[in-house]
Amino acid sequence: MTVNSSISREELQESLETRTVEHTHDEAANSMFGFIVFLLSESIIFLSFFAGYIVYKTTTPDWLPPGVEGLEVREPAINTVILVSSSFVIYFAELALKRHNMWGFRLLWSTTMAMGSYFLYGQAVEWSSLHFSVTSGVFGGMFYLLTGFHGLHVFTGVVLQLIMLVRSLIPGNYDQGHFGVDATSLFWHFVDVIWIILFFLIYIWQ
Amino acid sequence: MTNTQIENPKILLETHHHPPTTWKTYFTFSTDHKVIGIQYIVTSFIFFLIGGILAMIIRGELITPEADLVDRTVYNAMFTMHGTIMLFLWTFPVLVGLANYLVPLMIGARDMAFPRLNAVAFWMVPVFGIILMASFFLPGGPAQAGWWSYPPVSLQNPTGNLINGQFLWLIAVAISGVSSIMGGVNFVTTIVKMRAPGMTFFRMPAYVWAVFSAQIIQLFGLPALTAGAVMLLLDLSIGTAFFDPAKGGNAVLFQHFFWFYSHPAVYVIILPVFGIFSEIFPVYSRKPLFGYKVVAVSSLLIAGVSGFVWVHHMFASGTPAWMRIVFMVSTMFVSVPTGIKVFAWVATIWGGKLRLTTPMLFALGGLIMFVFAGITGIMLSSVPIDIHVNNTYFVVGHFHYVLYGTVTMGMFAAFYHWFPKMTGRMYYEGLGKLHFWLSFIGTNLNFLPMHPLGLQGMLRRVSSYDPEYAFWNVIASIGGFLLGMSTLPFILNMIGSWVQGEKAPDNPWRAIGLEWLVASPPPVENFEEIPVVISEPYGYGKSEPLTANLEKQELARDLN
Amino acid sequence: MKIQNILILIGCAIALTAASLWMGEQAYSWFPPQAAAESKLIDELFSFLVTLGTFIFLGVTGTVIYSIIFHRAGKYDTSDGPPIEGNVTLEVVWTTIPILLVLWIATYSYNIYAEMAIQGPMEAMHIHKMASAHAATMEEKGTFSITASNSIPVEKIEVLAKQWAWVFRYPNQNVTSTELHLPANRRVSLALQSADVLHGFYIPAFRLKQDIIPKQTIDFEFTPIRPGKYRLRDSQFSGTYFAAMQADVVVESTADYDQWLKLAATHKPVPANNQAANEYTQKIKGAFTTGYPTVIPAPPPLVNFSS
Repeated sequence: MTVNSSISREELQESLETRTVEHTHDEAANSMFGFIVFLLSESIIFLSFFAGYIVYKTTTPDWLPPGVEGLEVREPAINTVILVSSSFVIYFAELALKRHNMWGFRLLWSTTMAMGSYFLYGQAVEWSSLHFSVTSGVFGGMFYLLTGFHGLHVFTGVVLQLIMLVRSLIPGNYDQGHFGVDATSLFWHFVDVIWIILFFLIYIWQ
Repeated sequence: MTNTQIENPKILLETHHHPPTTWKTYFTFSTDHKVIGIQYIVTSFIFFLIGGILAMIIRGELITPEADLVDRTVYNAMFTMHGTIMLFLWTFPVLVGLANYLVPLMIGARDMAFPRLNAVAFWMVPVFGIILMASFFLPGGPAQAGWWSYPPVSLQNPTGNLINGQFLWLIAVAISGVSSIMGGVNFVTTIVKMRAPGMTFFRMPAYVWAVFSAQIIQLFGLPALTAGAVMLLLDLSIGTAFFDPAKGGNAVLFQHFFWFYSHPAVYVIILPVFGIFSEIFPVYSRKPLFGYKVVAVSSLLIAGVSGFVWVHHMFASGTPAWMRIVFMVSTMFVSVPTGIKVFAWVATIWGGKLRLTTPMLFALGGLIMFVFAGITGIMLSSVPIDIHVNNTYFVVGHFHYVLYGTVTMGMFAAFYHWFPKMTGRMYYEGLGKLHFWLSFIGTNLNFLPMHPLGLQGMLRRVSSYDPEYAFWNVIASIGGFLLGMSTLPFILNMIGSWVQGEKAPDNPWRAIGLEWLVASPPPVENFEEIPVVISEPYGYGKSEPLTANLEKQELARDLN
Repeated sequence: MKIQNILILIGCAIALTAASLWMGEQAYSWFPPQAAAESKLIDELFSFLVTLGTFIFLGVTGTVIYSIIFHRAGKYDTSDGPPIEGNVTLEVVWTTIPILLVLWIATYSYNIYAEMAIQGPMEAMHIHKMASAHAATMEEKGTFSITASNSIPVEKIEVLAKQWAWVFRYPNQNVTSTELHLPANRRVSLALQSADVLHGFYIPAFRLKQDIIPKQTIDFEFTPIRPGKYRLRDSQFSGTYFAAMQADVVVESTADYDQWLKLAATHKPVPANNQAANEYTQKIKGAFTTGYPTVIPAPPPLVNFSS
């Protein structure tokens, strides 16, 4: 009994000292952890679609709808380059914010938004020029499902970026921490990586 | 930085003076995990009763061989809704509710990591519940393709309306999925990030381990179902070709999407119940949980294996032989960590000082029925046997032994065990025991006859059957009605005790665990002072303190 | 451990084994008659699992019930039990034994499965190889009399499933029927097709089941061995009249089978009696409609022979 209580007293002392440091419950850290967990889960939806695409591609006898030769690669490739580079731009935007360079942040951040918006525009142009629709067999369905679902994520990313940009105009808003900016940036990288896989699956592997 | 540290305790002190929870709080958008937990439990119990009434209509139809009680379309809608309600509106939310109530208390946190997200996730349950119920009022009726919604049957739409039962079903399932993902993110973050000082992973109660493992399954499994559901919804509403063989689609692919989630979903349901067993057996046997660390880790093992077993639902679906064999072996391996748990519980009970209170009775009954369900489960995983009994009542019997015999019995055990903590009142033992015996007998009477029926070749989902199957069906139906009756003493007990039960002390069962160190019911924000944990859980017979600070206060309070 | 305890344990083990073996024997009586060669194999495997399962079930519940009876706390006994936290030896044993058991069950199941050599849809190209291998194993074991020449399947019978009727077509004689006739003691080969949704081909007396997938032809082989009349049922939920989608299966001697084919070929095709179509007509004729709208059943099939 005495041994027990002496241990507990020591541990109590120790933990009382560390308590304030350990247990302020850093909300931003929790939010970031939760957001990463969410993104991991979200990636499984894409993985499921990709798996479905691979199964269809390898097993469907008439893969392309009649009259469709294949997909044009040039325009989407340009689009890809823009989206992938925007991931670097957003990284530097984040860096600028960490160095409290607010105007640098706003400039780079807006550039990312512009690049993301251009990607969406390019996607819209591509969709409108295609000679098949979402009901043109499993190929048509899969194409629009994958690009559309990804496009929805790009759109969400741009909207989140807009919100963060507006918030940066509130004086001192990011002084306490910038979980929102970090999360948006992480989301943007995620959307990027998904696109790279998607691009290889749909456009390169024809 | 220093400023915020000094301010923080002040804020915390102020929050302790929240108004106490009254009955009205339960109808509001509360962010208190305990309120949300009870909201989940009560809401899902209402749906449990609705699902139960549907089950009794089904058993009423099946008491005679002919399709004479309801029209065949109505019967198909009944079993579809029964399955959907019982899974998405009873077992999932009720277990999330219990976990919501217990996890923060057990790990020494003041709330979940994201209280508002928690409340949003809960309020989605009544929303999709109402959407699902609304399909009863559509001209075409609710979905009639079974809870699996296999295409092409689920794509057949005799009314021709865009908004049909299947459409609402898919919307409801999608919202349920979003709600569950939110819950999963919240639980995983809470358990990883919000543990009290000294509460290492291997000092967490086995229940928390089980919830953790179950929520990980939700996070990796549900997105696959969502993907399949989105594609099915597109097929149904705008005419895409994904799962429609007539348009060149692949109907079997849906089954892969569906079962990739929906088999692990069974472990999402059963793992927390294993956790409940791991909490209850030590308390009422007055012994530590035998092999605690192995029991804790076996939950994660089950979660891991669960990702590689789904094809065992498709042994008759035209899967290639190598797949049948691979998934047979992987499925059988689930029994190893599960067996470890069962043996550990038996060893916990062995040589203890048993007290047969209502929660202990339910846990013991649930354990015995689970052992039975596990054995029939191994039989089902064997490909040749599955080919015979797949889609027969043998399967129905097996999973009802899991879902009623184990999960629902385990839930009742949990309700009784933590009722004094949740409400601050004691329940009536007599009614509790009556409830136990009615449900134990009812469950066996209802579901045991399904096994011989399945072996004889009676298929599930039939609205009529050949007269040779009549005998066992009559017994099953009587059991079904008895089960329906068995909930009456429970409802009476819960409502009566909550209103005018004897006041409960903080720790009526002399149980060891952080939740038993706070008042019954616990105050908002749970702990006046965050506990400092200094020993492993289940220290029965060891007379060592669990925390460095709380028990001392307890003692001081008692002395005063 | 005392000698007495060891003796008690051995006694319990013997009693458990005896009870389990008895239960395993009972298991054979829980099935419909064994009408196909495959059913014998499956029943054997099931009996084995029942024996094993009974042993585990009685072992576990016996221990629990013993504790419930003999390890109860007295009314005013508030003491705790012994604080035993675990036992590594015991835990290793109860992890190893299940692993070995699982491997045993899996190997046994695999062997049975290989003997059945059911033809799935993906294995069409292996049919001949596997069929001959199958015949060889059968002969070796001598489980039933089937000669190598008999193991070459009879003509491929076409099975068409639609909402909600079964139609069987014998292509050589161009005979269609709503009753499936099969010769006994010969390997039978079916080509399963569906016109609309998923269906399942299931004859409980044969212990065999295979889903039928639209737009695919699935080859299915087995060997009926016991003459008689059995039921074929749809095993994959197929909509409103799912339960009514049944047909008779007649297993008869090769001579009777040939004679039936010849006789049926002389019949003119007539609409068969169809339960789903009948019910649907009655339903729409009813004074007031009950239930929800349904997919309209296919018209009764035109066949040379109907039961």
